[in-house]
Amino acid sequence: MAALIEMRDVTKEYRGVPAVKNVSFTLEKGEIHSLLGENGAGKSTLTKMMAGVTEPTSGEMWLDGKKTLFATPAEALRSGVNMVFQENSLVPSMTVAQNLYLGDEKFFNRLRGLYIAAQQFLQSMNFNVDPFATVATLGAAKKQMVEIARAVRHHARVIIFDEPTASLTPEEKHYFFSLMQRLKLRGVSIIFISHALEEALQISDRITILRDGEHVVTDVTANFDRDKIIRAMVGRTLSDKLYSRHDADGGGARPPGRRVLSVQNLSMGKLVLNNSFTVYAGQITGVFGLIGSGRTETMKIIAGVMKRKYFHGGEIRLEGRSIRYRVPRPAILDGIVYVTEDRKIEGFFETMSIAENLHMGELASSQSKGFVVSMGEMSALADEWTRTLNIKAINSNARVIELSGGNQQKVVIAKALVSKPKVIIFDEPTRGVDVGAIAEIHQLINRLADAGLAVIVVSSYLPEILNISDRILVSQKGRIVEEFTPSTATEEKIMYAAVH
Amino acid sequence: MIGFLRDALDAWRGGGTYSVAVPPMDGALRPNQALEEADEALAIEAPDNLTRFGERVLFSSGRAVHALEARDGGFAASRFAQFDAPVSAMAADSNGGVVVGLGSGKLVVRGGKHDGETIDKVGDRRTMCPTALAFVDSDTLLVALGSQQNPPEKWKHDLMQRNASGSVWRVKLGGGAATCLADRLAFPYGVYPAADGAVLVSESWQNRILRVVPGAKPTVLLADITGFPARLAPRADKAGAWLAVFAPRSQLIEFVLRERDYREQMMREMDDEFWIAPSLAAPRSFLEPLQGGALKQLGILKPWAPTRSYGLVVQLDDSFEPKLSFHSRADGRRHGITSCLELGGRLLATSKGGDAILSLSISDAKRK
Repeated sequence: MAALIEMRDVTKEYRGVPAVKNVSFTLEKGEIHSLLGENGAGKSTLTKMMAGVTEPTSGEMWLDGKKTLFATPAEALRSGVNMVFQENSLVPSMTVAQNLYLGDEKFFNRLRGLYIAAQQFLQSMNFNVDPFATVATLGAAKKQMVEIARAVRHHARVIIFDEPTASLTPEEKHYFFSLMQRLKLRGVSIIFISHALEEALQISDRITILRDGEHVVTDVTANFDRDKIIRAMVGRTLSDKLYSRHDADGGGARPPGRRVLSVQNLSMGKLVLNNSFTVYAGQITGVFGLIGSGRTETMKIIAGVMKRKYFHGGEIRLEGRSIRYRVPRPAILDGIVYVTEDRKIEGFFETMSIAENLHMGELASSQSKGFVVSMGEMSALADEWTRTLNIKAINSNARVIELSGGNQQKVVIAKALVSKPKVIIFDEPTRGVDVGAIAEIHQLINRLADAGLAVIVVSSYLPEILNISDRILVSQKGRIVEEFTPSTATEEKIMYAAVH
Repeated sequence: MIGFLRDALDAWRGGGTYSVAVPPMDGALRPNQALEEADEALAIEAPDNLTRFGERVLFSSGRAVHALEARDGGFAASRFAQFDAPVSAMAADSNGGVVVGLGSGKLVVRGGKHDGETIDKVGDRRTMCPTALAFVDSDTLLVALGSQQNPPEKWKHDLMQRNASGSVWRVKLGGGAATCLADRLAFPYGVYPAADGAVLVSESWQNRILRVVPGAKPTVLLADITGFPARLAPRADKAGAWLAVFAPRSQLIEFVLRERDYREQMMREMDDEFWIAPSLAAPRSFLEPLQGGALKQLGILKPWAPTRSYGLVVQLDDSFEPKLSFHSRADGRRHGITSCLELGGRLLATSKGGDAILSLSISDAKRK
C-alpha cells in the first residue's frame, strides 16, 4: 500500500514549548490507524497539522506522494482530509439536517428534500438521530453522531476521529465500528484517537504511540497487547492491582457503613421514574447505565443541580433528614458535591487559574459573607491541593484551560473536595482522561471511600464500574433496576440488566 | 414559623413526611432467597414467639406453647402449656419462669419464682394488647403493650386507625411497681434490654427502632425501616441484634395510610382480609383486588400489584445498622416473620404467614 499521508520529522511549538517533536508518521490507503498516548502526548496536535487546523513549526507533510501544506481546514477538506473533533463544531441553533449540509447548500434549497436526504443518510449509518431536531437539544452522544455523519457525507479520503466513542453507548459503538469497517472497505483511511485501549486493539490495523510529543512506536496491532501499549504510553508499568482493587471473587469490596443517603421513589419528567437506592458511608457505589437511563439526572437532583417533580416527586434523605434543594449551594453546605461529567462546560472556569477555581469551590462551601479575598490563603489552598492530587502545572496560577484533560479533571475533583463533603458523586470521572491519570483518579476515589465518605461513581465504562465499585447499581429507563456485588457481577449481566 | 410553612408546603405537594415514598431494599437489604430456601424445621399453624428457655426452645402457636425438640435429625414439637386465649407474647428467664401475654389481655407467669402470678393492669393501663415481653432479671419484666384500642389479633385495624397508643413498661413481678418507660408509641412490637440499662423498642407503625432510657426522651436508633418491624432478638456475639420484619412497606399502603376518608370507608365496608394493608401471608382469594395487571422487567413478567406480605429478617450491627438480611420474596411462601432466635450458628425464624418454623445456617446463607 502506498502511504496516503506521510509526516516527516514534524515539530510544532507553542510559545517555544514543543507539543510535537520530530515525529514521523505514515497513514496507508484503506487502513485504520490508532493514535494513542496520554493526554498532552501530542496526538491532537499531530492530527490538527494533517487537517490544516494548525501548521507545523518544522518538518514536512506529504499527501499522495506530493509535498503539501494546508493553510486552512477547508483546504484539507477539499483534498479529502476531514477531522471530527472532540469538541463539537456544530451550529447549535440549526437542525441536524442543516448541519449535515452546512457549506454544501445549493442556491435554491428544498427543505423537504434536504430532510428526507438527511434522514435516509442517517438511517444508512444506523444512527438514531432526528434530522428535524435542533442540535442544541441533542445530548453529547447524538451530537457526536452528527459530527461523524457529516465527515462521512463529505466523501473524505482520510477521516480523523478524535475520541469519537467517549460519549457513545456500547450499542452505538458497535454500529460505529461497523461503519468504520465499511469506510475502510471503500478505501477510506481512518486515524482513530481513543483512550479506550481495548477499542484500539479491536478495530485498528496499526497502532502508533506518542509520549510527551515524541514518537515511541508504530507497529501492526497483532504485535500489541494492553500491557505493552500502557508501557509505551506511560513509560512505566501500571500494575493491574492499581487499577483493579477487587480479588477475582470480589473479596476486596468494602462492607457498607451507616446509611448516609436514601433516595426514595424520586421522579423527574420522563427521565427519572420512581427511582430508589441507598448510599452507604465508606463504600463506593457504582452506578452503570446507558445514556438516557436517567443516572446523571438523578445525581443532579440529589446535588440540587436539577429539580425533582414538584408534586409527589419522591423523597431524598441525608442521614435520615429529608432534603430538597433548588440550587447546588445548600447541597454543598450539607455535604453533597457533584463532580460533573462535562468538566469543560460545568466543571471549571477555564480562563481562571487553578487557585481561583479552587477558591470558588471553597466559597460555595463557606458560610462566610466577607468581601475581601485573601490571596495568600487562596494560593496556600491551591498549593496544598495541587500537591495532594499531584496536579501537573507550572504553578497554581496556571490557567485551567492550559492543563491536560487528566489534570483538568483533578482540578474539578479538588474543587469539590475543598468543601469537605460527606457524599461525593463522580459522574464519568475518567472520561477523556489518559490511563496514567485514570489510575491516579481511581486511587483518589478509593482513598475517599477508605476515609469514610459515601462515594458514588457513575460510569458507562464497564471495566471501570467493575473494578472500582463495592456495590454496583444498574440504571435503566429512569430507575435502578438491579444491584450486584463485585463477586456476582459480570459485564454480560450488567449489560443485560441495563438493556432489558 | 418556617417549620410550620415548610410542613404546610410538604403537605400540599407530597414531600417530606407527607411523601408517599418507601426506602429501597438494597445494600445490606438486597433481596435473596435465604428464607425461602431455608430448612423447614416444623410445619405448624401460625408459629410465633421463639424463646430460649434454658437448653430448650419454646414457641407459641395459637393458644398453646410448645417446646421445639431435635428428633431423628429433624425437629418436633411437644406441648409445654395451654392457655385460654391466643398467646401474643412470651419471655422466659433463666430460673425456670415463663411469662406469656394473652390476647384476652392478661400476662400469666408459669414456673419459676413467680409461678401463677397474673397481671391484667400495669400502672393505669389494661394489658389489652401485649406484643412483646423480656426479662431484665428474674424479678423484672419489660412489657410492650401495642395498643389501648385493639387486641393483638386486630393489629391491622390499629394500623389503619393510625393509632399511637402503645407503651413500654418495666414491671416488678410479685406485686411490685410498674414504671412507664415510653408512652404514645405506634405499636411497639419488640423489646430488648440493652447491656447499658437502656431498652430498645421496635415501633412498628413508625418503622423504626427506639432507644429508651428511663426518664429521658426516646432516641431513634434506626429509622425508615423498609418494612414493619416485629421482635428483636439477641445475637450470639452480643453485638447488635436480629430484627424480624413481619410485612413490607409499599407506596400503595403508604398512600392509603395518608387517605383518611378512603381508609374509613374501606374499614367500614370491606372484610379486613381484603384491605389494602400489610398482611402476614399472600392472599389466596380471587376477591383480592389489583392482581390483574403485570409489567415486564428484566425479561420477566411480574405482577403489577405490589405485594402486601414478605418475609424478612435483618441482622443489625452494634450501631444498629443493617448488615445482613434473609428474605422470602413476593413470590415466596415464608412470609410474616414475627420472631427469630440464633442458636448454635443457625437462625430459627417463625413464619406466621407461612405456617412454619424455619432453620438456616447463618454462615451458609451469608456465603450465598
